[in-house]
Amino acid sequence: MASQKPLLSRAIKLAAAYALALIATAFFAFPVFWMSSSSFKSELDISQYPPVWSFAPTFENYAKLASELDAFDAFVNSAVIVGLATTLAMVCGTMAAYALARFDVKGKEVIAFEVLSIRMLPPIVSVIPMFIIARALGIFDTYWLLAAAYGLAGLPFVVWVMRVFIQDIPQSIEEAAMIDGCSRFQTFWRVTLPLLLPGLAATMVIVFMFAWNEFLLASMLTSQNAKTLPVIAANAIKPKAIAWGLASAAGVVMSLPVVVLVLMMQRYLVRGLTLGAVKG
Amino acid sequence: MAIQINNVYKRFGSLTVVNGVSVDIADGEFFVMLGPSGCGKTTTLRMVAGLETASEGQIFIDGRDMTHAEPRHRDIAMAFQDYGLYPNMTVFQNIEFPLKIRKLAPAERRRKVEETAGRLGISDYLGRKPAQMSGGQRQRVSLARALVRNPKVFLMDEPLSNLDAKLRAVMRTEIKKLVTDLGITTIYVTHDQIEAMSMADRIAVMRKGDMVQVAPPLQVYDRPATCFVADFIGSPPMNLFKAELANNGRVVCQVQGFGDALDDGERDRARAMADRHGHFAVGIRPEHLQCVAAGTPGSVEGIVELVEPLGQTTNIYLLSGDTKYVVVTDRTTLRAGDTIGVIAPGDKVRAVGLDR
Repeated sequence: MASQKPLLSRAIKLAAAYALALIATAFFAFPVFWMSSSSFKSELDISQYPPVWSFAPTFENYAKLASELDAFDAFVNSAVIVGLATTLAMVCGTMAAYALARFDVKGKEVIAFEVLSIRMLPPIVSVIPMFIIARALGIFDTYWLLAAAYGLAGLPFVVWVMRVFIQDIPQSIEEAAMIDGCSRFQTFWRVTLPLLLPGLAATMVIVFMFAWNEFLLASMLTSQNAKTLPVIAANAIKPKAIAWGLASAAGVVMSLPVVVLVLMMQRYLVRGLTLGAVKG
Repeated sequence: MAIQINNVYKRFGSLTVVNGVSVDIADGEFFVMLGPSGCGKTTTLRMVAGLETASEGQIFIDGRDMTHAEPRHRDIAMAFQDYGLYPNMTVFQNIEFPLKIRKLAPAERRRKVEETAGRLGISDYLGRKPAQMSGGQRQRVSLARALVRNPKVFLMDEPLSNLDAKLRAVMRTEIKKLVTDLGITTIYVTHDQIEAMSMADRIAVMRKGDMVQVAPPLQVYDRPATCFVADFIGSPPMNLFKAELANNGRVVCQVQGFGDALDDGERDRARAMADRHGHFAVGIRPEHLQCVAAGTPGSVEGIVELVEPLGQTTNIYLLSGDTKYVVVTDRTTLRAGDTIGVIAPGDKVRAVGLDR
């Protein structure tokens, strides 16, 4: 049959594509797998060489994480701080982006670029002044300080990315809404925002991940009360040896919220990461 | 509802896009603003809609000053060139949206949406998303969304220009019939002279921010106010010949035979519209020129340059002296290189003003 040959070559191509995808996935997934499996290993199993693949799983690392490193408190700290920061950055950033995308703001190109240029500053530059200011204001080692710092760090990114997403929505859709009887705010809330959901989801995940993983500011601007997960995870590295089991367990706990968030947002993420998806 | 546009200007920085436009649009009138891109027609429409603010002047809708009112307070509907449909909503939700904003009861909303969809022939598509529909269907949805709340004024911004030629012709008649039946005052913006001619009660021809001529279609066609209007309307456009009034009042024309054909009335008009130096143009529609045998008394001698048979009519491109022009006739046996006579009937020759 004449049609069999192209069918065969298509099957080969498909198989090759799947094989490549599998190799790539394995390459990136292996460290995650190794971290997860190590977190369930005893000290003895971890230090085995060659590494052991089958072992009796234990929760001892997780128990130690909670008792020795106060991981539970740190998790709550992280959740509150990062939640506040993400909300702050998303709400303010999206509204600023809307203004820069839609209103006649004088010199808005300059403003947009200025906003982005804040991103170009290395975080280490701002740590010392922030430390001094926080001490003076009496907010050192509180939720507010880190939430504000992460929110402000995420803001330029939100403004810049959301502006593009908003500009991507044809203006006539909003104009139609205003003619249909909406005020400016109703137009934004009922028409623009639903169309922005994919973009919002993608942006939010990135802002969340940045704040969730942030270490430098967290280690410099907290001491006792507002310690976040990355800071206590670093404590698994002890002066004499690295507690691999503990570090792995901390890694797993840190990764989980991000994984959950991405899974929750998956529906929007695929569309959000490919710009221009809302054009009808 | 009547609309008055009163000496309205729109400036973007140093650029004047609409240059003191004034016009009264009567209740129930189908008013078309026609012109090339960048002439200010869409900006004028958007100022009536409230999507742009006039830099100067006033806009009255139903006698009330609406110059600075928000779009939602003007009781207008609008159809956009790219339809402006909400891509995340179904056709039903799209049409329902203005009613929802006005907080109508759900049952009432459903009844109205179904009635309007039926009128526009899109009842079968109510569950679809706009992306699953063709351009013509989408424009119908946008019309339905506009009509569902019985607006007093309907603004249309080139609603047919994204459609193919055949569908455009169909939609043209449908829109005209629909808004005439409903008696809605309509302002329709287009760059397509056929749409303007076939739909309008009155046409406003715009150029560089000015309304050059505001008149019923046939009057615009028969008596174009300026060379720009004459050239913009009609296909092929009106033949225009440079002319001037000599000191003794005689008309001196690029093709003298056509200049001599001006009757007294047109001569008076020419006097009135001629510029400071007495310049104007003599205009003759291609279909009004008659081909006769060379040497016929009163005819102008012309050499056939090109014959373009279009089936229904034939375009004959002629050369008299060094002036080119075109005649539209029925089928013909003329061929390039033939020499013929051309007669311009006195009652069809127009004096046309130059553009400022």
